[in-house]
Parts: sequence; structure tokens; C-alpha cells
Amino acid sequence: MTRRLSITLRLTLLFGATSVIVLLALGYFITETVEHHFEEQDLDILVGKIELARHALSGVTSHAGLDGLSRQLSDALVGHSGLSMTVLGPGGHILFATPNAIFPPALLSLTGTAEHVSTGLVVWNQGEHMFRGLAAVMPIALADVSPVTVAVATDISHHAELLGTFSTTLWWVMGLAALLSAVLGWVATRFGLMPLRDIARISRETSIDRLNDRIQLNSIPIELKETATEFNDMLARLEDSFRRLTDFASDIAHELRTPISNLMTQTHVTLAHARTIDDYREVLFSNVEELDRLARMVSDMLFLAKADHGLIIPLLETVNLARELTELIEFYGITAHERDVTLQLSGAGIVMGDRAMLRRAMGNVLSNAIRHSQPGGIVRVIIDGHDEVSVRVENSGAEIAPEQLPRVFDRFYRADPSRHPASEGAGLGLAISQSIIHAHDGKIQASSSNGLTRFTIQFSGGVN
Amino acid sequence: MLWGRGVVYAHTKIGFARGDKQHMKILIVEDEPKTGAYLRQGLAEAGFIVDLVADGIDGMHLALTEAYDLLILDVMLPRLDGWQLLRAVRQAGRDVPVLFLTARDRIEDRVKGLEIGADDYLVKPFAFAELLARVRTLLRRGKTKELDVLRAADVELDILRRRATRAGKKIDLTTKEFVLLELFMRRLQEVLPRSLIASLVWDMNFDSDTNVIEVAVRRLRAKLDDGFERKLIRTVRGMGYVFDPGDSE
Repeated sequence: MTRRLSITLRLTLLFGATSVIVLLALGYFITETVEHHFEEQDLDILVGKIELARHALSGVTSHAGLDGLSRQLSDALVGHSGLSMTVLGPGGHILFATPNAIFPPALLSLTGTAEHVSTGLVVWNQGEHMFRGLAAVMPIALADVSPVTVAVATDISHHAELLGTFSTTLWWVMGLAALLSAVLGWVATRFGLMPLRDIARISRETSIDRLNDRIQLNSIPIELKETATEFNDMLARLEDSFRRLTDFASDIAHELRTPISNLMTQTHVTLAHARTIDDYREVLFSNVEELDRLARMVSDMLFLAKADHGLIIPLLETVNLARELTELIEFYGITAHERDVTLQLSGAGIVMGDRAMLRRAMGNVLSNAIRHSQPGGIVRVIIDGHDEVSVRVENSGAEIAPEQLPRVFDRFYRADPSRHPASEGAGLGLAISQSIIHAHDGKIQASSSNGLTRFTIQFSGGVN
Repeated sequence: MLWGRGVVYAHTKIGFARGDKQHMKILIVEDEPKTGAYLRQGLAEAGFIVDLVADGIDGMHLALTEAYDLLILDVMLPRLDGWQLLRAVRQAGRDVPVLFLTARDRIEDRVKGLEIGADDYLVKPFAFAELLARVRTLLRRGKTKELDVLRAADVELDILRRRATRAGKKIDLTTKEFVLLELFMRRLQEVLPRSLIASLVWDMNFDSDTNVIEVAVRRLRAKLDDGFERKLIRTVRGMGYVFDPGDSE
């Protein structure tokens, strides 16, 4: 199971790992250097002592001289407590040895007659002590004892001890440094990621009643500016949608209240006393009318809700606008005739779209125009089939005030709120038309001037 | 198919009644108790024999063991939903017509229903008259032969010659008025809801808030009934219109 680590933890771990690697390398380099330094120092001393011995041996020309050699070398080594030396003749015969001199056989088994044969530095342990030694073979004037092997060693226990203490301290310091840099890394990360925490804070504090918070763009580092802008835009869109949804919801509640109140009052009053059959029937008839209206409102609102969610997906078929409008005019002409309103159609055009939906959209616009036309008036329907196809529906009658124009497609909008809703439905017709036209990538607009109100449906592309 | 005189609906001369001597059997599977009870009552009073069960398993059992002329299924049902029930019925090789009722109106549901083999689809809330009209359409499907001359009371409609007469006198009708009268006469004594008339006569398949149908029916009635004592087209308040030839047959 892999869990995504937080950025802070990640960066902290990275900081820690980086400093551990750097400090390890540094520690290794320092210990190596110190050790190498001690080795050089030891080599200097040991080579010096070998030279001393060579010098002393070169003065030996007789067997008697060999006896003087011990004293000479002992004197030379006074004050060098850590030093041991041994001088061996051929066959391992000891010519001289300091009291503590114990050398590993490997060092002493040098053979040869060369002027100067020497081993490299050799390190060995002796009890609790550690030694570093060097041996050399050299000829002397006494032929029966020549050549002799000279071996010197120095006790390096204190060096090792020092190095040990030094490394322990060093590792401690480095461990603490690694820890410190991890902690500092954590602090730096927290600080560096502050703008992200800002976004997080705003996200956390954003709720349906607090959608107005935005990230301050001027305090945001450049790397996050795009994200922050997108985030702010998203909040703005949400705020807008949510406001419209809330408005819609309260409108719905308001619109439902009246018919439900009617139904309740009527039913309660009727039940309060015994009535005649005819009275009961009358109440039921009246209820059916209210319920019909409620049912239609609910299905219209569902249609709009689906449109809001992009669930209204029009079929794409060839729609002959002239034919559809002719049929719509035939249908709505029946009511238009009642109101003494004449309907006229001109032009032709073909669009791709959903025939049934477009019928509904244009039907609502037409019905609206008939309703708002004055008696004796004319409703003109003009199809402009050139380039981009459009349908204009014009009626003469009371103008819509300019400030009201953008609102005519709002849900539950009614030109005259005092009119009884029953006379013109729930005020969802034009909103539905707009949803359908938008689902077809078209535009619908209203304009009103000189006693003429015009609705224009602009389709996105005509088919010829 | 012969359609006899209807049972008179309680207290009203015109109801949904339209008796059927063959006693069509309908199975309703609906778990909402009120809906189920009223559907059963309404359909029973319209002259059908109705069985009502409230869950999918019982519904499937009945649908597979009894012979029904129509199934009315709610989509959301306990134990076995409407889709599964329909699938089981179709797999058993029964092609009884099926009408779905649903509270959700989603296009994919419709498509799914039609793919599985539903015959019709009605979204709640619906008018009972609408349901009844659709039930009759489904039951009638493929069973009636279309008559060329329709007669009811003293009205005669010659479909081929586009001629309408009442008591031998010619009635001048527009094309749509003729289609409307034909619809009424093919569905004698059935209450036709406005939405159904708008859909079948004008191909307007959406609820519109106009009074077009009222005006159209009023005009047809003026041409058909004015000057005659017996009024043939009646308004059933809140539900629709009915062509009632009266007791003369």
C-alpha cells in the first residue's frame, strides 16, 4: 500500500538524506586525512631510526664494535618510549633488541644482500597495543654477520585511540547536523509552502455560505499563480452556479406554496362539514386543476434541471424550419384566432437539431408572442435562411422595459406579476426555450422598441 | 373487436368506463401502496380485471404463471426491479405488452426499457386519464382493423372520402377537426386527456400552457352539436374530453 507522502515530509526527508550523504563523505575524507597524516608522521620517525641504525652499524668494523652498538643504539632511543628496535644478524641471531621488542615474523624474514631492502609500513596488534613497523636489510663491514636486518616499530595505540575518539565525536556531530538540517529543511519547507497552505485554508473555510473568499494573487509566488488563478475562477463559477441554484430553489418553494396552500385550505374547509356530492365533486375538480399545474411545473423544472446538468442532448436530424413553424402556427393559430391575433410566416431555412425539442422551443416563443400581442395585432415569424439561420418572432403590443429584457428568460419570470399565474403558466416556457436553444449551441435574444417586441433565435450553423 | 356499452362510473354519467366483454386482465406491480390501490380501483372501474402485487418476486411469479393481457410495472421495486422482472418475462418467451411507470425520467432509462422490450413508458406524476388512454392503446394494438367508415349515434365519418355527416347533414370540418373527430370516434366513451389529443392530432409532444385544445374542441363541438339536442362531445372537468354516443345503441 503506497500512500502519497506530504510535500513537507518529502522535502524534509530529501533534505535529511542529502545532508547525511554530504556529511558521510566529509567524515570519511576527514578521518582518512587524519589517519594518513599520522602514517606520514610515523613513517618519518621510523625511517629516521632506520637511518640512525644504519649510521651506527656503518661504524662497526669489528666484533668488539658490536658490543658498543647496543649502548650506542640504547642511548639514541632514550626518550622514545613508544619505540622498539631490533637488529638481527643472519639466522635470526639477535645483535640488539629493546626490552619490549616483539616483531611479527613476516617483518623479520627479509632476506637479501642488497644495500637497502625495506618493507613498507606494517601494522599489527600486540596484546592491547597496536604497532606500526618498518624493517630494512643492510650490509655491514663484518662479513660473517652481514647483512643485518634492522626492524623498528612505534606504538600507535594512542593514535588509534585518538582517531577513535575523534571519529566518535565526528559521527555524533554529523548525526546532529543531519538532524538539524532535516529540522531546518522542515521549517524551510513549511515556510516555502505557506502559499499552498493559504489555498488549503481557503478551501477549508469555503462552504456554501462562504463562497466569496479568494486567494490574494499578489502574495502568491509566480509558480503558483496559475493554480491560484484557476482556483479563484473555480470559486467564482461555483459561487455563481450556487447563487442561481439557490434563487431557483427559493423560487420553486415560492411557486409551489400557492397551489399547495389552495389545495390544503380547500380540502380542510370541505372536510370540516358534511357536503353534498356535488360539492365534493366540485372540490375534486378544482384540485385536479391545481394538481395538473403542479405536475406540469415539476416536469418543466426537471427539464430545466437536466438542461443545467448538460443532460439535454439533442438528436441531430435535418429540421425544415418552415414546415415546423407552419405546423406550430396551425396549432397556436387556434388560440391566436380567439384573441383576434393574426399569424404570418415568411422565409425558409434548414438546421440540424432535435425536431421535437426545437418545436417546443419555438412553440413557447410563439405562444408567448400571441399572449402579449394586442387584439387585432399581427405576430410575424420570419425565417432568415441566409448564412447563419435565424428565426425572428415579432409581436406588436406593450413593450418590455429595457431593464426587464435580460430577465425574460429567467425562470418564473412573468411580465406582469399581478396576473393570475393560471393565465400564463408557471413562467418557465421561455427559460425552457433558452435551455433548448443553448443545448443546440444557438442563441436567443429579446428586444423591444417602437411598440414591437422581437425574439430572435440564432442557430449556430445553417445547412443548405 | 366489439366494444360494448360501458359500466357507468359512480355518480357521473361519463367516467373512464368502457366495458369490455372479454375482461382484459392486467397485472400491476407497484410498491407504493396508495398509487397501487388507486390504479387498481381506477382500472377495475374501467372494466378491467386487475391483480396488484407490491414486490418484484411476487410480480414475476404471477406474470409467469397467469395469463395477463398487460403488465404495468414500477421501475423501482423491492427484491426484483422492473427491468429484471421484464427481462425474466421476455426470456420466458412472453410478449405481453408492458407499460413502465417511473419517478425518474432519464433518457438512458427510457432507452434501457425499450431495449429490454417495454412497450410504453410513463413518468410520474401522470394523469390517470393519460394512463388509461395508453393502456387501451397497448391493448388494442394489432387487434383492431381500421374501419373506413365510423358510425356513432347519428354521426357518420367516411375516412377515405373525408366526409362527416350528422343525421344525414354534411358537417364542414377543417383537416385537423376531421382528424380530431376521427380520434374521438375511434375511442368512443374514452376520456381523452388534452395532452393525448395534442400529441395525436397536432404532433405536439410537450405540455404547453395554451388553451388550444379547449378552443379546438369547442369549435368542433359547435359544428357537431349545435342545433342538436343530444350533445355528443362532453368535457370531463380536469381530465379531458369524451365522445359519448348515449344510450341509443
